[in-house]
Amino acid sequence: MNGSDEIILRVRRFDGTREWWQSYQIGLTGVTSVLDLLNKVREEKDHTLAFRQSCHMGTCGSCGMVINGKPRLACQTNISELDAGVVNVEPMHNSPVIKDLVVGLDSLIENHKKVKPYIIRGKKEEIFYAPREFEVTQEGTTQFLQFDYCIMCNLCISACPTVTIDPLFLGPQALGQAFRYLADPRDEGWAERLELVDDDHGIWRCHFAGACSYVCPKDVDPAKAIQLMKKELLKKRLLIRRGKKGAEITEPLQPHFTEEKLTAAPPLDFKRGD
Amino acid sequence: MTEVMDFDVVIVGSGLAGLRAALQIMKNDEGKLGIRVAIISKLYLMRSHSVSAEGGTSAVLYPEEGDSMELYAWDTIKGSDFLADQDVVWRFVNLATDEIRLLERIGLPWNRRKDGKIEQRWFGGLSFPRATYAQDKSGFFMMRALYDTLLQYDNWERFDEYFVTSMVIEGGKFKGFTAIELKTGKMVFFKGKAGIIATGGNGQLWRITATASSTTGDGYGIAYMAGLPLEDMEFVQFHPTGLVPKGLLITEAARGEGGYLINAEGERFMKRYAPSKMELAPRDIVSRAEMMEIAQGRAATDKVSGLAHLWIDLRHLGKEKIEKKLPMIRELGLKNLGIDLAEAPLPVRPTAHYTMGGIRTDIDGKVLNDGHGSVDGLWAAGESACVSVHGSNRLGSNSTIECLVYGAIVGDGIYKYLEQHRDKDTALPKERVDSEENRIFNGILGKESGGEDVYQIKNELKDTMESNVHVYRTEEGLRTALVKIQELKKRYRNIRVDDHRPTLNYNLQHALELGFMLEQAEVVTMGAYLRKESRGAHARLDYKVRDDQHWLVHSLAWYTPEGPQFKYIPVNITMWKPVARVY
Amino acid sequence: MANDSIWKRLISSLDPRHYNIERWSYTLHRITGVVLILFLIAHMVEIFHISLGPESWAATLALLGRLGPLENIGLWIIAGCVFYHGANGLRLLLNQVFGLLLGKPRMPVYPYTPTSLGKNQRIAIWTITAVVSGIWIWAGLYILAGLGIV
Ligand SMILES: Cc1cc2nc3c(=O)[nH]c(=O)nc-3n(C[C@H](O)[C@H](O)[C@H](O)COP(=O)(O)OP(=O)(O)OC[C@H]3O[C@@H](n4cnc5c(N)ncnc54)[C@H](O)[C@@H]3O)c2cc1C
Ligand code: HEM
Ligand code: SF4
Ligand code: FES
Repeated sequence: MNGSDEIILRVRRFDGTREWWQSYQIGLTGVTSVLDLLNKVREEKDHTLAFRQSCHMGTCGSCGMVINGKPRLACQTNISELDAGVVNVEPMHNSPVIKDLVVGLDSLIENHKKVKPYIIRGKKEEIFYAPREFEVTQEGTTQFLQFDYCIMCNLCISACPTVTIDPLFLGPQALGQAFRYLADPRDEGWAERLELVDDDHGIWRCHFAGACSYVCPKDVDPAKAIQLMKKELLKKRLLIRRGKKGAEITEPLQPHFTEEKLTAAPPLDFKRGD
Repeated sequence: MTEVMDFDVVIVGSGLAGLRAALQIMKNDEGKLGIRVAIISKLYLMRSHSVSAEGGTSAVLYPEEGDSMELYAWDTIKGSDFLADQDVVWRFVNLATDEIRLLERIGLPWNRRKDGKIEQRWFGGLSFPRATYAQDKSGFFMMRALYDTLLQYDNWERFDEYFVTSMVIEGGKFKGFTAIELKTGKMVFFKGKAGIIATGGNGQLWRITATASSTTGDGYGIAYMAGLPLEDMEFVQFHPTGLVPKGLLITEAARGEGGYLINAEGERFMKRYAPSKMELAPRDIVSRAEMMEIAQGRAATDKVSGLAHLWIDLRHLGKEKIEKKLPMIRELGLKNLGIDLAEAPLPVRPTAHYTMGGIRTDIDGKVLNDGHGSVDGLWAAGESACVSVHGSNRLGSNSTIECLVYGAIVGDGIYKYLEQHRDKDTALPKERVDSEENRIFNGILGKESGGEDVYQIKNELKDTMESNVHVYRTEEGLRTALVKIQELKKRYRNIRVDDHRPTLNYNLQHALELGFMLEQAEVVTMGAYLRKESRGAHARLDYKVRDDQHWLVHSLAWYTPEGPQFKYIPVNITMWKPVARVY
Repeated sequence: MANDSIWKRLISSLDPRHYNIERWSYTLHRITGVVLILFLIAHMVEIFHISLGPESWAATLALLGRLGPLENIGLWIIAGCVFYHGANGLRLLLNQVFGLLLGKPRMPVYPYTPTSLGKNQRIAIWTITAVVSGIWIWAGLYILAGLGIV
C-alpha cells in the first residue's frame, strides 16, 4: 500500500445522548486492518474515540463492529479487502450502545452461562479426582472442536434477525456452545442441556437464516450446531434417544493436589539431564 | 463517595493464572466456608491475553515413554541459564502433570494420538517432546475450558472492565485495590482479606511485540508503587519469530514441528550458533543469532516497513500437517501478508514477548516485601509474578503451565489462609482511597488544556526501548535510554487527558497505563545497565560472558521518587551447579 | 437498535442486504408465509359468503369481479408464494428436522467457509429458485391467459 494513500473513515458515534456520523481523513502508512486505522485516528486525530481491542490477532473477540454494513472483527478486516474509498464503522447491532463503537455484552454473557457450558458428569468428583485423562480419539474431538473455536465476539448476535425481533432469544452463540458440550464425547449432560434450550426463547425461535455462520470469524458455524441440535431434540421428544454415556475412567479416584506433591523434596542423587 | 465492594478474595487479572486460582478456591470450598471471590479484569474476563498463547504447554505425561521429572527440571534450569530457583522448579515440574490432565477433564481438546492419549511435540530447549497442545491455539482453549468451568460456581462475582489503579497495604497487611469502573468512570474500592495479582506481562513497552495491547504490566506498576520489590525485571524475552512488520507471533511450535529458519542467502544459519539443537535452541539463543545475522548483513529487508528480517520456512511440512497442527499461524500469514506458509516462507524477526521478572514471591506464591518477610494476605501468580521458575530465560511452553501450577498453588494457599482468618475486618483505609481518587480525578483528569499528549509519550517510550533495550544491549544504549525515560517521566507529570466524559474513558486508562509503563521501563533499563554480564535473555555486547562469581544473583528493585533502588540476593541452588550452556 | 420499536426492528430483521443468500430466502419465506395466511383468511371470508345464500355469494363474486385484471395478478402472486414457500419449506425441513445439507462437524480450515452455508445448500436454493420460477411462469400462462397480457 502506498504511503501517500489516504482514506476516509466514517464512524457512527454516540455519547450517551447524541448519535452522529463523524468523518476522518487519514493516511494509510503503517495501516493494514481497520483496527490499525481506528488506532491511528485515536492517536493522531481524536483521543475521545472509544472502541475495544486487545489481541490484534483475532482470538480475543474484543473488536467486533459493523464495517461497511457487515459485522466483522476490526483487527481481521484489511482495508484492502474492503475495496472501497470510504470505511464506515458502526457499533454492533442488537446490543445496547454504551459509547461510540462499544456495546454492552450482558446478554451475551448471561445467555452463554444459561446453557451450562461445561462438562457435566454423572459422577462430578471424576473431574477433579480422576487419576488420568479421558481417552478420546481425534475423531471424537472433531465432533465438537469447531464449536469450541468461539471467541465470544458477539458478531453472530449482531447478525441474527431473530435476536433483532426477540431480544430474549438465547441466540446463536449460546446455542452453539450448548451443542459444543452436547457433542463432546466426555459430556453426560445431553438431556439436561436439551431441556434448557427447549424453551419459549430457545432453539425453536431459530429459522435458519444462517447469518450467524456467515459472519462468524472462526468458523464456529452456529447455524450448523443449532440445526443438528434440533435433530437431537426431536429424537429426545420422540423418545428415540434418552441420554448419553460419556467416555470412562475406570481407575479409582484419588486426590489431585496433595501435600506430598507440594512439599516433595528433590531426590539427592540427580543425574544430569544431558 | 467511593463505593466499597467487600470480598474474601480479590483476584486482579483473569488470565490463566487468575482463573486457575479462582477454580482452585471454588473446588476447595464447594460451599464449606462460603468464600466470596471477586475477579477483576480491565477487559472482559475471557478476553485476557492468555487467549493468544499458541504452541503448547509442557508437562511430563507418560514417563514410561522416556521422559522424567529430572529431565524436565534440568531443561528448565539450563534454559534459565541457572538463574531459576531450583527448589521452585522442582515443585513446578512435579505439579505440571496433573494440571494438563485436569484441563483435559474439564473439556480441553488437546490434540490426540491414535491410541487416545494426549499428543506432545518438540519445543525449543527441551530434551523430550513434552509440549502438550491443542493445535496452535493452546492458550485459547485453556482459557475457554477454565472460564466455562467457572460458570458452574456461583460464589464468585465478575467485574469486567474495571481498571485497577492501586493497591492498599497497611501495617504489612493487604487491604484491597482501588479501581475505576470503566463503564461509569466511578472509583470503587475492592476490599479483601486476600488478594491475588495476576495481571500478566509488559510486552507493550516495545514497538514490535507479540503481546496484546492490554499487556502493559499494570500489576508490576501497582506493586512497585505500593513499595514492593520487583525481581529480575531486566530479563525480557524476545521471541525469534515475530511476523514482520507488527511482531505478531509465529509460534515456536512451527520450529517444533520441523520448520527451518533461513537467512537471505537461503542458509539455515542456526548451524553456526547451536549446531546440535539448531532451530530448537532456546529463544534467547535463536533471537541473538537472528540479530547477529541482521547485523552482519545476511538478512532480507521488508519493502514496506524497511525492517530487516529472516525467513521461517515450513513448506516441507506439507499442507495437511500445517492445517492439522498449525492452522492459526497459517491464518495469520494469510490475513496479514497474504502469504500461505504452506507455499512460501514468512518474514520474521525478534519480537517482545515475555517478562521473566516480576513481583517477587516465595515458593508458595506469597508476595515478599523484602528478602525475608511477606505481605500478609497478598499473592501473585502467572507472568506478573517472579517465583523464579524461568530465571533469565523462559523455555517456550513453560509459561502457560506456570500460570496453571502457580494459580493452583496460590488458590490452595489462600483457601488455607482463609480457613484460619474467618474474622471480619471492617476498617476502611479511607484516606488512601480518597487520595487515589484525588490523584486521578483532580490531578490527571482535572487538567483542562496544555500539557503532554499520552500517545506522543507512549510512542517515544516504545521507540526508545526498541532501539536501546533489546536483544543486545550496550552501556551506551542503556544510558541513552535511561536519560530518555527520565525525561519522559518528567513530561508525564504534566500529562493531559482530552476525553472528559466519565463513560469508557480510554484516554484516561491509557494515561494511567503509561504511568505504570514508564516506571517499569526505568526498572528494566536500570537493571540491565547495572548487570554487567550476559546471562540468558540479557546479552551485553560489552560484557559478553556469564559471570557466576558476581552475578549469579537475582536483582530486586524498589521504588523511590528518584528512581529505582537495587539490591541483589542469591539464587536457590539445590540440585545442579551452573555449567556452560551449550546447545 | 436494541431500543428501537418493534416495527423498526421487524423491518431491519427482514433486510438481508450485506448478508448471505440463506438470509434472503429467510426473508422471502417469512413474507410468503404471511401473505399466504392473509390470503387464507381472505379466502375463508370469501367462502363464508356461500353459506349466506346465493345472493350474497353473487355479490361477493361481483365485488371481486370489479378488481378486474388485479384479481388474476393477485392470484398469480399467491400462486408464486405457495410454490416458493412450499419448496423452500421442504428444504428447511431437510435442514432442521433431518439435519441434512449442513455438512459434518469438521476441523476449520482457513479461509473459513461454513459448511451449513456450503455447496449443498447453494444447490438446493438455486434449484428451488429455478424450479419455482419455471412453474410460476407456466402457471402465469394459465392465470393471466384471459387478460391479453400474455
Ligand atoms: C502471542 C503469544 C503466544 C504465547 N504462546 C505461549 C505458548 O505457546 N506457551 C506458553 O507456555 N506460553 C505462551 N505465551 C506466554 C503466555 O501466554 C503468557 O505468559 C500467559 O498467558 C500469561 O498469563 P497471565 O494469567 O499471567 O496473564 P494474562 O493472560 O496476560 O492476563 C492478565 C489479566 O490481567 C488483567 N489486568 C491487567 N492489568 C489490569 C488492571 N490494571 N486492572 C484490571 N485488570 C488488569 C487483564 O485484563 C487480564 O485479565 C505466549 C504469549 C504470547 C504473547
Ligand atoms: C406447501 C406446504 C408448506 C410447507 C412445506 C411449509 C413449510 C414451512 C416451514 C418448514 C416453515 C418453518 C420455517 C422455519 O422455521 O424456518 C414454515 C413457516 C411458515 N409457514 Fe409454511 N409451509 C407450507 C404452507 C404454508 C401455508 C399454506 C401457509 C399459510 C397459511 C404457511 C404459512 C407459514 C408461516 C406464516 C410461517 C412462519 C414464517 C416464519 O416464521 O418465518 N405455510 N412453513
Ligand atoms: S459463534 Fe462465532 S460469531 Fe458468534 S460469538 Fe462465537 S466466534 Fe463470535
Ligand atoms: S483485537 Fe482481539 S479479536 Fe480483534
